[in-house]
Amino acid sequence: METFVIGLSIASILFMVALGLAIIYGTMKVINLAHGEMVMIGAYVTVLATKHLGFSLYWCLPLAFLITAAFGLVIERTVVRRLYGRLLDTLLATWGIALILQQLIRIHFGLALFGIQIEGLGSDLQNVPVPIELQQSFRFLGANIPAYRAFVFTIAVLLGAVTWWLVYRTRFGNQLRAVSVARNMAAACGINDQRVNALAFAYGSGLAGAAGVLVSGFKTVSPDMGTPYVVDAFLVVVAGGVGNLIGTFVSAGILGEVQSFVATWLNDVYGRTVLFAVVILILLFRPQGLFVIKSR
Amino acid sequence: MKYRIVSAAAYIAFFALIFLLPLFLNGFWVNRVAIYLVYSICAVAISMSWGYAGVLNLGQGLFFGIGAYMLAMSLTLALPENNPVPELMLLNMEPDAVRDLCCVTPGSFLWIPFRSLAVGMIAAIVVPIVLAAALGFVMFKRRTAGVYVSIITLAFALIGQLLIINNQPLTGGFNGLANLALLDIAGLEFDPYGPSVYYLVAVTLLVVILIARYLLSGRIGQILKAIREDEARARYLGYDVENYKLFIFCLSAGVAGLAGMLFTVTAEFASPSLMATSFSISMVIWAATGGRASLLGAAIGALIVNFVGSLASESAAFQPVWPIILGGLFIFVVLVMPNGLAGICKGLIERWRKRDAAREEAYP
Repeated sequence: METFVIGLSIASILFMVALGLAIIYGTMKVINLAHGEMVMIGAYVTVLATKHLGFSLYWCLPLAFLITAAFGLVIERTVVRRLYGRLLDTLLATWGIALILQQLIRIHFGLALFGIQIEGLGSDLQNVPVPIELQQSFRFLGANIPAYRAFVFTIAVLLGAVTWWLVYRTRFGNQLRAVSVARNMAAACGINDQRVNALAFAYGSGLAGAAGVLVSGFKTVSPDMGTPYVVDAFLVVVAGGVGNLIGTFVSAGILGEVQSFVATWLNDVYGRTVLFAVVILILLFRPQGLFVIKSR
Repeated sequence: MKYRIVSAAAYIAFFALIFLLPLFLNGFWVNRVAIYLVYSICAVAISMSWGYAGVLNLGQGLFFGIGAYMLAMSLTLALPENNPVPELMLLNMEPDAVRDLCCVTPGSFLWIPFRSLAVGMIAAIVVPIVLAAALGFVMFKRRTAGVYVSIITLAFALIGQLLIINNQPLTGGFNGLANLALLDIAGLEFDPYGPSVYYLVAVTLLVVILIARYLLSGRIGQILKAIREDEARARYLGYDVENYKLFIFCLSAGVAGLAGMLFTVTAEFASPSLMATSFSISMVIWAATGGRASLLGAAIGALIVNFVGSLASESAAFQPVWPIILGGLFIFVVLVMPNGLAGICKGLIERWRKRDAAREEAYP
């Protein structure tokens, strides 16, 4: 049961990161390798805000969301929008962005060159204080459940619901789905597809940033923490089937649990190995992913 | 016609430069440039699969690293102090284990064949090919294409790296294999700081480029390009797209393994950092800088990027900024010069030709 809950929290993080990636990939066919860096930035926002502004972890969530969304918007406006239709090239360019972002954190946004250091940045590992009430654990169905893991799960479900509402119940979501099915047609019908792209990119990045806040609560924060997340999240998207939220949700659940159980049974490395093997198996038998929406 | 002459001249000039270079360099720089030439071989391997067939392998570092490890195992056992059992295993064995390679640590019997140098050298090329064939078979037979291939290979390499770090008693873990003998073939010793290793690498690069060029300028190259441009059309025309992709994927992996083997000879270590995601992607950017669809361009790109990189890391002021410059280079290359330096050269030649043609028309 404990393992299951840990798996659930891994899955929650995976889901939030993958959700952003899925929206970005689904809408504009861009692989954003800097997505992991959004997780990293979200975590650093938490480190800085708790250290310098005295924020609690809760308030860091919206703050990190906004900041990473702004980052996403800038990345889309400056680089990604010039690369639509060149999928593999977006991969390289966003990796370049990732390198830059990581290094900026390491050298304190360049201030280190002038001898100024900001506490909380640099290449060292950082820790974030978790609110007291989240450090406890409660009993549920005869098992000890750490409150923080439950909190992570709740936030993920909440954000999942918000995203679902946004995509399927709002005007913006309508436009988003129209653009991802048939960009030119949507543009011809008067949808400003550039604007939809930019907003989708910002929203996806914001989700990753929020995930970063949650990650910072149970893992040490470092400049290169993001890369594994983007790889795992992409595996989740691929396994779940591109372009639908339910697929991402279910496959994040499966893969998170698989990883958690194998990791407790053997160790972390085998957890990831088996996760990868599962994705390969899924692709072998269902190349389009677990859930496929029919599109013309 | 003119392009072919210019291109042949470029090849001759490049290799003349490479072969004359050691005359002007000291031992330290001979070793450095030799390593960059090894990287050039990697970039050529990327260019073969990505530039020609559009198969972007982001896990090439795994094949490179395996090549490095295979030879490093043989060179570890070639040192007298590592017999009968390498030091790294003595440090990690159970106290009462038998001190023999068969069973000192779990899986240590895998090292037994590597007592022979020839096995290490052959395995450095064959093992990457076999692995690539297995992975490629699964991927391509299911018609996984494009970006999915990139992500799957990326994840594959990540797992490989983790497994090697995790199995410390067998692989040396995070530190890798660093205490190695010099490569010694039939009494001929290769000194990493002397011309022998340099020329070994340079000649290998020459041979790899020539063979690849011969292969890819022919029928296979044309079909691979067709697949790159439009996979469905190539399939419709009756070509077995999957097998061609599998072929170039494995070939590229084999070349990467060969490069890894030379890396061990030159740099005298093999470590999991060779399999890092960042290293695999670096190879791609070398090829992209030089020109993804040009074998020579890719080789030159690797040389330039690494040379500038090492100059930058020499100076204390530049070192922290270098990754940012490198990241900027990624973006710049992709946005501004998608065909790399080779593409720019090609564009220039094209312009000259047009100007000549225009002139001939004006003054017949």
